[in-house]
Amino acid sequence: MNIRPLQITLAILKPDVVAHPHIVKDIRSMILKHGFLFVKSKKLHLSPVKAADFYEEHKGKFFVNRLVSFMSRLIKSYHQKSSCMSDMNTMYIGMLICLSSGPVWTHILAREAAIPEWRQLMGATKVLKTIYEDPESIRGKYGLTDTRNCAHGSDSEETAKREIQFFFPEFDVSKWYQETEPLFRSGQVRFDEEKVEHVPVLQNGTAGS
Amino acid sequence: MACVGSSSQLAARVMGTSGVCASCQKLLQIKAPHMWAAMRGMRRWKKKVLEREDLKEEVVEYVGKSPRRADRVYAWGCAVTGALGIASYLRPEKTQRPLVQQARPARVKFIDINHMKPYLVTCGYGFTLYAVRSAQGLQLLGTGINTSSQLGYHEVPRNSGRILDYIIEPVEIPLPLNQPRSTRIRDLGCGRAHTVVITEGEGVYSLGNNAYGQCGRPIVEGEEFSKNPLVNTIQGLPDDVVQVSCGQDHTIFVSSAGELYSCGLGADGQTGLGHYNLVGSPTRIGGDVDGEKIVSVHGRGDCVLAVSDKGDVFGWGNSEYNQLAMVTEHTQINTPHYLPLSRCGRIIKAVAGGSACAVLNDKGQVFVWGYGILGKGPALESSDTPTQIPPTLFGRNELEPHTKVIDIKCGLGHFVALTDNGDVYSWGHSRQGCLGLGTNENQFFPLKVSIPAEAHALACGVDHTVALCKSFT
Repeated sequence: MNIRPLQITLAILKPDVVAHPHIVKDIRSMILKHGFLFVKSKKLHLSPVKAADFYEEHKGKFFVNRLVSFMSRLIKSYHQKSSCMSDMNTMYIGMLICLSSGPVWTHILAREAAIPEWRQLMGATKVLKTIYEDPESIRGKYGLTDTRNCAHGSDSEETAKREIQFFFPEFDVSKWYQETEPLFRSGQVRFDEEKVEHVPVLQNGTAGS
Repeated sequence: MACVGSSSQLAARVMGTSGVCASCQKLLQIKAPHMWAAMRGMRRWKKKVLEREDLKEEVVEYVGKSPRRADRVYAWGCAVTGALGIASYLRPEKTQRPLVQQARPARVKFIDINHMKPYLVTCGYGFTLYAVRSAQGLQLLGTGINTSSQLGYHEVPRNSGRILDYIIEPVEIPLPLNQPRSTRIRDLGCGRAHTVVITEGEGVYSLGNNAYGQCGRPIVEGEEFSKNPLVNTIQGLPDDVVQVSCGQDHTIFVSSAGELYSCGLGADGQTGLGHYNLVGSPTRIGGDVDGEKIVSVHGRGDCVLAVSDKGDVFGWGNSEYNQLAMVTEHTQINTPHYLPLSRCGRIIKAVAGGSACAVLNDKGQVFVWGYGILGKGPALESSDTPTQIPPTLFGRNELEPHTKVIDIKCGLGHFVALTDNGDVYSWGHSRQGCLGLGTNENQFFPLKVSIPAEAHALACGVDHTVALCKSFT
């Protein structure tokens, strides 16, 4: 049994892999093999505006202004054919556009040092480099291009909290740490294939949340 | 017991007449128990000799009197999507296990046992389309992943509500045509999750994911693409579209006059329309290609290259890996730029993958640039300007001094080349065995793919490759 509490992070599987169910299955087994526990899972379809909101949470004020204006212009310009900002950081536009093209899987993953470990398992964002430099990572295996890069992971505890709040507003982090985390830490959970979540084996009150 | 001569004598005697000599016949009649073992050996030997005799008399005619070369299709790469169209890989016999990847060319028997003659093939990300001529007339077939309905709506059995997400063997894709059995398909295009079909005289159709407008119709927010029966007729194109090229999420059309039209994702400028927006209807591309007659356009990822009838090359879109560094310092450009490739001769074909580009000139020489496995050595390379791949690597040698490359195709990370004698060469990043070289390892220079037929057309997906071939006789 670990002594330190588990860390939680938000993981998103993007539409480019969700469209290929066999890859989702492979990635899931990779996640399990690397000792991650699925706390919560949800499949949803983000609208471009919701995706923009997500990166607003994610990247902070400076980025927001550019992003929001880009998004609103993007949506407007689509009808009006006006020109958009050209110097936008392509990566984020790409990430954002990529997120809204189909259904995504969002997971709260728990593990010791979940944030760095998940980022390591994903591999670097520059997919076209990662396929050569880190071929065993998720992006190295299944990534298509730098913008169609399979997955997203929180970069710090702070953002993890914010992002989890964004996708799972009903999920109470501190309550989870109090009630369910010890079960996860001591391994008293089993993986439920259907829910794509680990559920406590012992029935005690709020377990299963 | 006279049968003790040397073995060669014996064989001559045996094979000379009825097969077994008289003395051996006698031997076979002996019934003493201690001779049984010897008899058994004798019998086996007699049987072998007889079999050998039979073989000698049989005349095998390998080639008929009027041999006709049959159509063959070979496919290799990721099999789990069903894109190879070989059903037994995913629904195996009892004693076999499913095959998730096939790293060497496998014959797609479905096409030839149904006596279909494929004349076009295109691959998307995990799916393949064929235009074939069969006994029923002309047909469009599709196989592979169908989670965005890029292969149409297939409910099996009918009215069961079971709509196929994976199609593991080619099925017909019904198009709303007036004369479905006699309308020829001019060109096919497949992207990450969409399909475009150009018919002769009956318009242009699109199926699949339209999140960015890549199907050439307005974007509908929140539209579900899986299990969607919509086949869209693309409006706003000239009547004489002759060619289509799909990137992952964009589409570019070429008219017979050599004008370009594009729609779809423009985040890297890959639509070439002077902005980075999404475009939901085909729009004419300007820039340096204006006034030029474009004969070929290609871009698998987010960088696009076009070739004019004069042999000039134009490029636009993503340049993060220096694909367009000849003309820009930025990581992307949104209008077509003339690329100064005069050193490469008169270009007839230009292809762009995810991070690498290649051009082919009228002499059959191949030039590459960009980042990744370019095909010139044992290391990852990064090059701003085109350099030639030695023609020896494409089979030019003392015995075949005139062999030349006549076509090149690429996926996101791999290239294939077709030579005039029907050989296929591949190199690049091996995703799920898409190079067809028997292993799943990256190949750093062009290597011949062993196909037991003569190839005449190739198509590259992201993780699989298909070759249309003719049997040798």
